[in-house]
Amino acid sequence: MTVDEMRQQPWVGRRIPRQEDNRLVTGTGRFADDVTPQGALHCAILRSPHPHARIVRVDVARARSMPGVVAAVSGAEAREHWAPLPPNFALPGIVAPRVYGLAVDKVVYEGEPVAAVAATDRYLAEDALEAIEVEYEVLEPVMDVDEGAVDWYGDGSPASPASPRLYDEWDDNVQVRYDFAYGDVERSFGEADAVVEARVAVHRYAAVPLEPRAVVAEYDPDGRTLTVRVATQVPHQMRTTYARIFGLPETSVRVLTGDVGGGYGSKGQADGDVVPILLSILTGRPVKWAETREEWMLAGPVGSRGYVHHAELALRSDGTVLALRDRLLADVGCDGVVRAIGLAALIVGATYIPGPYRIDAYDVRVRGLVTNKPAYGAYRGYGKDIANQLIERLMDKAAAALGMDPLELRRRNLLTEFPHEICTGPIIESGSFVECLDLVQEKMDLPALRREQERARANGRFLGVGVVSTMEPSAGAIPMSVFSGFESATVRLHPDGTVTALTGLQPIGQGVQTSYAQVVADCVGVSPADVRVRWGDTDAVPYGLGAYASRGATFGVAAAHQAATEVGRKLLLAASVALEVTPDDLELGGGTVRAKGSPGTAMDVADVAQRTYFQPGPYAMLPGEKEPVLEASAVYTNPEVNWLPDEHGRLRIYPTHGSGAMGCLVEVDVETGGVDVRKVWYVHDSGRLINPGIVENQLIGSSVQAFGGTMFEQIVYDDAGTLLTRTLGDYQLPNAASVPDIEVSHIETPSPITPLGTKGLGEGGHIGIGAVLLSAVEDALRPFGAEVLETPLTPPRILQLIDRARESRARESRAQTAGAVRDDV
Amino acid sequence: MGGLVPLDTEVNGERHRREVEPRLLLVDFLREYLRLTGTHSGCDDGLCGACTVLVDGEPVKSCLMLAAQVDGARITTVEGLRAEDGPHPVQQAFVDAEAVQCGYCTPGFVVAATALLARDAAPTDDGVREGLVGNLCRCGCYQNIRKAVRSVGGSR
Ligand code: FES
Ligand code: FES
Repeated sequence: MTVDEMRQQPWVGRRIPRQEDNRLVTGTGRFADDVTPQGALHCAILRSPHPHARIVRVDVARARSMPGVVAAVSGAEAREHWAPLPPNFALPGIVAPRVYGLAVDKVVYEGEPVAAVAATDRYLAEDALEAIEVEYEVLEPVMDVDEGAVDWYGDGSPASPASPRLYDEWDDNVQVRYDFAYGDVERSFGEADAVVEARVAVHRYAAVPLEPRAVVAEYDPDGRTLTVRVATQVPHQMRTTYARIFGLPETSVRVLTGDVGGGYGSKGQADGDVVPILLSILTGRPVKWAETREEWMLAGPVGSRGYVHHAELALRSDGTVLALRDRLLADVGCDGVVRAIGLAALIVGATYIPGPYRIDAYDVRVRGLVTNKPAYGAYRGYGKDIANQLIERLMDKAAAALGMDPLELRRRNLLTEFPHEICTGPIIESGSFVECLDLVQEKMDLPALRREQERARANGRFLGVGVVSTMEPSAGAIPMSVFSGFESATVRLHPDGTVTALTGLQPIGQGVQTSYAQVVADCVGVSPADVRVRWGDTDAVPYGLGAYASRGATFGVAAAHQAATEVGRKLLLAASVALEVTPDDLELGGGTVRAKGSPGTAMDVADVAQRTYFQPGPYAMLPGEKEPVLEASAVYTNPEVNWLPDEHGRLRIYPTHGSGAMGCLVEVDVETGGVDVRKVWYVHDSGRLINPGIVENQLIGSSVQAFGGTMFEQIVYDDAGTLLTRTLGDYQLPNAASVPDIEVSHIETPSPITPLGTKGLGEGGHIGIGAVLLSAVEDALRPFGAEVLETPLTPPRILQLIDRARESRARESRAQTAGAVRDDV
Repeated sequence: MGGLVPLDTEVNGERHRREVEPRLLLVDFLREYLRLTGTHSGCDDGLCGACTVLVDGEPVKSCLMLAAQVDGARITTVEGLRAEDGPHPVQQAFVDAEAVQCGYCTPGFVVAATALLARDAAPTDDGVREGLVGNLCRCGCYQNIRKAVRSVGGSR
């Protein structure tokens, strides 16, 4: 291919280097904490040492007189200067506590902000915290949810839990209640040949982005304007939220977000970051807060995990799934709606538990209970992991019960015809679940792995293989929330032929700058290098909803594509005037507009632009056009999202659905309990790919994170409710030595409901890894007969599973012997 | 708190003479005083490597060192690796191997990898794994980071 032909090719689909990388590798990126305005003060926050306590008295007077201190404020004093943090969504069945940025009379988790200081230097601000006196009346903390004491049926039985209430104004500690049923579940269970049951539990772990939260607030008392530079995934919603909290018109608030050092769902709300803003308003000076890692561990949102399923699956003897029942209980920390945004993950989980399988009778009940721990945040997966973990474990269990090959059982039930409305409402618009399973099996060379496993077993080594299907709902749009789901863009072709693309989406590491440049470049016939994507300045870009729910490749891209397509249309129109060729006979590419089939008749895009703007100008070049400039704005919403529940109470909040299959090979050391994850294979189909390199990084990255979460990351408290995992030494993250190799393969089944055939992606690893690791470890432990249904897969747990399995075998054989003896008599 | 201590150090080829507080951390000196914000802070405990810089050629976690301790030393930060005519080969390798997502860990990795390659010009894959175990990438780019480092070192 010649260079010229290369330039003509569509940019979408090409693996080009990322535009963002030059600044990031040279240390010239701009993260929130990189900016320190002239005269800035530094904020330090005093946090509760108790998980549950009444605040009797806070005295900041001594702190005020410490060196360098300009302001010190308690929650009670702050109370009149701001409104409570607003709930992030208002879905039925969810209650929201009334919470301020600094606690007023009660703290509900260790680490909750109770007072704050602004000083001329960070060290002095931290010193001053020690001079703040707080008197607490310590209350008994609620650190766990009691699986036996949940009122599932609303009939008061068992009697509501005796644990102390977190919020005096609530009737109990339940923050979300969600019940859904479809089809004749009772009858299906009655007709089943086999019913398998499982308790599947996943512990609490968190996103822990390497960049902690950071805010630089600049309040100008004269103009009553507020500028906030903040590490967030959702700059516009932050503007709306800050305006509301501080009683300012949105026109006076500007939020700036440059580079963000990872979010993964965790940077999607206002919480402690409102404290430096308050201090800036009180002092009239810029105030900066860059939290420490310990603060993040204490008070950052945890991942939407910490749940237990009690489920049953009904099947016919041929493997056809008839019905599914689940009771999903989660520990949502102190709150999953106001201080963080994790709560809806439980509803998403309940919606997608049937997964990629045909299941027409389903009954689910969900309860999320508050405890005295940090808030329940969003984390990659956002419930789709909760769903997959259960259905895939049930599939393995059912296969064992029926004596079927687990992949065959899956194939028998996987969706193969699309579009398909699943029983909970979403429409799976296209997919390749069976093909993904076939391909992963081929990539793994399953028969060879089985032979290796056999040889190893003969030598006293325990290899295990797991394979699961995954479904990756993407592009979430949650009604009644700040994540309602639209995205906007403006595309502007300048007189020199370069292009600015403004997006409301927020880059947080997912390659937005490059992918969007590729999309826009194709529409206006230039190279991505000529497209500058801008984001994260609420004064410059149109109101958009930012990065969450894997929506960048659908909502964000579609808006940019729509706007760029309109600019491309006008560009062709103008060129048709200049070249005297009808627009239909023109084509764009490589920086030129040419007549199809007569390459001699051509003009540079820059030339057309120059003429349209100035020589002679829009009247001549775009006659009759309503907006005769080379600029367009667009807002994208997806028609498949439904805003009102249907007659069954169903919402369709995710319009696109990726397919996938994941396999892995592990080796378990039965002496130490150590699990060596030797390899992961991931076949993934998220429709058309914009930049395969960017996609692969996200697939592998999310797999690495979920590997850490499943294997060893865990948030641990002691008996008194004090956090033990306060550093990255205690809370272990995957590192270069511990991560397995992950081999990714793509299938591209376009989505029929997005303009480019793309689907969202980026959470898939989280959706599949948990289940595939449990499955593989269970396979490795098959000689012991251990069931693996709970995380994390740490050595003590593995040893415990082996011990229990041995004991129960021993009991069984004792019982058999006893039976045999009796038979003899 | 005590008085200030004198500090005379060369950072990225430029000499700086200052009086600093004895407790000032090197990472804060670089970021807040010299505005070299490429050195990041991710854990404050020497565990993530985002703050890695070279002190007299040796990789150091700048969150674990006091500014006063580099008196008389030569420091190179990620900004200082860059050559006049473009990025350092290790920096370019990170771009080419698609070893960056959010980029917050990247400067620390680039500096640590540069030091690793100075010790061993052609590390094995295991050598890179072990050599970079003090740096964390929460975006999970390890696979491509290893590729990047080995592409500079030449594979063995
Ligand atoms: S901030 Fe220094 S090692 Fe993490
Ligand atoms: S690229 Fe995000 S932490 Fe490494």
